[in-house]
Amino acid sequence: MFSNSFSQGCSDAGICSIGNSFQTTDKELKNGIEIGSIFGTGEADVTYISPYITYTRTINEQLSLSSKITYSVARGSFGERGAFGDAYLIGNYNWKPKTNTQWSSLVGFKIPFTSSNLKINEFSLPLDYQSSLGTFDFIAGLNLNYKKWDFNTAVQIPVFNNNKNSYFKEFSNTDDFPSTNLLERKSDALFRTTYTFQTANKKFTFKPNVLFIYHLGEDSFENAFGQRETIKNSDGLTINGNIIGAYAINVKNSIELSLATPFVVREVRPDGLTRGFTAGIIYKVSF
Amino acid sequence: MKKIVFALSIILLILSCEVEGDLTRDIELSSPITENTPPIATGNFMPTSGIKVSGSAKIYLNGNQNEVRLENFSISSGPDLKVYLSKNATPTNFVNLGNLTSSTVYSIPTQVNVSSYKYVLIHCQQYSHLFAVAQLSQN
Repeated sequence: MFSNSFSQGCSDAGICSIGNSFQTTDKELKNGIEIGSIFGTGEADVTYISPYITYTRTINEQLSLSSKITYSVARGSFGERGAFGDAYLIGNYNWKPKTNTQWSSLVGFKIPFTSSNLKINEFSLPLDYQSSLGTFDFIAGLNLNYKKWDFNTAVQIPVFNNNKNSYFKEFSNTDDFPSTNLLERKSDALFRTTYTFQTANKKFTFKPNVLFIYHLGEDSFENAFGQRETIKNSDGLTINGNIIGAYAINVKNSIELSLATPFVVREVRPDGLTRGFTAGIIYKVSF
Repeated sequence: MKKIVFALSIILLILSCEVEGDLTRDIELSSPITENTPPIATGNFMPTSGIKVSGSAKIYLNGNQNEVRLENFSISSGPDLKVYLSKNATPTNFVNLGNLTSSTVYSIPTQVNVSSYKYVLIHCQQYSHLFAVAQLSQN
């Protein structure tokens, strides 16, 4: 099992942590709970604390179900704003293993707790201060495990947009963040490669990995004249590097540390998902 | 019954965990207008169904900047109220002047020809509900 706290380009971190859903809990233990908190630095002077909790139920050797709830507090020059973000419901299916290879697939949904229009003192805030994008997303993915390598690919598609953000940079005395009034966001596609190695006593596990995310179109917003306007250069590729170190306290309990940073970013990132750096700590228990 | 209590507890937990600090960024304030400056246009607000509103909207030229000023204004509370300068009595062809706040002054972008806009609207953008309409007449 592992989790990921990647640093940029992910839809509410959903698509970034998707690899976790490919991993099932110990086959003898039917339940898993994961509690994590991620610190991140964002655009301008924004910093984040983003805790989450995940519950995974193993139905049988093939099938498992996961639910995840996220929370985020953003602090920056506008002030401090925090709220619950999204709920994820993910189903994972492990195909019949072959020698050295194991395929698995997942489908799921992201359900937002907010419409991405949190304010401070009635002042509208950019997406960088929102705990959710406000979109209901469909998520699908495929994973291939080959010896010590994992290759996963996934898509996150907004199927219903409930983004009611009302931020205009023209009213804000700053160009740090683009206008995102009634933002409409495009889909993301992800590809990740992970290499896993363990110490001889299997107490420590390290998982360096690289994550490619392609934002499949330019986002748009409604300008002050009520007309939809494309946000130029908001599509494109993000490449993140991530290293995870895990310590197995015993068979049932483990602790992980995760560090991530982007190497390549999109030119314009109106979704507020940009992180210059993230550091996460995660506790996992199976029972 | 247990399920209802559990569900209510979860909802309360979610609502109680919101954090909202104070706005720490300075927002640009409009310069005061010279006394006895006549408005370009004025109109009294009329409510839509179920809404209470009072006061008027007036357009002034303050230096080189056109502004909507709300006078003696009050309105029923709403979650995401905006001030629109509009060509129609409904929000179909408008300029969004920003959130309705405790401020009474709303700057109009310089490229806008105010004479072609006949209404000031108070509109809830999040739920797309029109709250009040002031039809402007030229002075």
